[in-house]
Amino acid sequence: MLALASCGGDDPPPGGKPPAGSGAGLLNSIVALEHASVAAWAAIAAALSGKARSQAKAIRRRELQHVERVSALVRDLGGSPPEGRPTREYAPMFPNLPNAADALHFARDLEERLIRTYLDALRSLPESRQRRAAAEIAAEEAQDLAVVQLLSGEPASTKAFVTGTS
Amino acid sequence: MSVTRRQIVAAAVGAAAARAGPARAEATGADGLERLLALEHRLESAYRAALDRGVIDPALGQSLSGQEREHVRGVEVALETLGRRPSRPRVRPPRRAALAGRPAFARFALELETETVAGYVELLAGLDAPGLLQPLGSIMTSGAQHQVALRRVLAQPLLAPGG
Repeated sequence: MLALASCGGDDPPPGGKPPAGSGAGLLNSIVALEHASVAAWAAIAAALSGKARSQAKAIRRRELQHVERVSALVRDLGGSPPEGRPTREYAPMFPNLPNAADALHFARDLEERLIRTYLDALRSLPESRQRRAAAEIAAEEAQDLAVVQLLSGEPASTKAFVTGTS
Repeated sequence: MSVTRRQIVAAAVGAAAARAGPARAEATGADGLERLLALEHRLESAYRAALDRGVIDPALGQSLSGQEREHVRGVEVALETLGRRPSRPRVRPPRRAALAGRPAFARFALELETETVAGYVELLAGLDAPGLLQPLGSIMTSGAQHQVALRRVLAQPLLAPGG
């Protein structure tokens, strides 16, 4: 979890035009976290093989879609979403992933953080369409976590309340 | 669900609501929750029926049925928070065709889970009760994981586009 703390979601939001309370600052932080997640899933995929690697690549593609969707919300507010950093800048933030078990452990931490981020955002985002996007993406992140659990040899669904905290 | 577990669920949802202060008993929010409560009851009943008929893997059926019971209780507490007494809806049993075999039941349950997740998204987008958003969201995310479990039964791609 230490590595995830510096994945990008805690970056201060860049300055922009949207007024305070518009949700832009929070959305920008989420975009930064999603950029880091795309890089993280590339690293996770590289540590996996076969079907697990294919699933990891599919999840990475979904994270890219999340970057686009949340960035569009920022642009709708007149803001400029943060760009992703070069992959080499993210790499030192991730733990070493020498085997599949470590990669799946990291993937679980990452997906739990993403779920927690989107569920927390529901309380802070002022517009209905922003909350709708956060809810839809939270559901997709929970599905990604379910896939990670299956790849780890566990049931897809283990808890009645999936909050993003273990 | 044991009494202790039920109390924990009620405390979690109730405490979140209390932190947010008194929620407005907004008709649309409570109506939406009533619809979700009916769906959660249908899911719980469907998994029990599937277990009785042997058309779901027992471990999976027990797990999903138990989680649906907790979802029912969570939505009931949310309704009480909005000032509405939860009713026990008349639950329609699954169609006979839905219980014809494991694939048929999984398709039926997946459809119902998908409808339920979409219902939560709709509610969360508009609900004016900040203290309930996270707890209800955590039920929605559980439902999303049920979708993955059922797609696995059907040998479908686990991450279907659009839900």
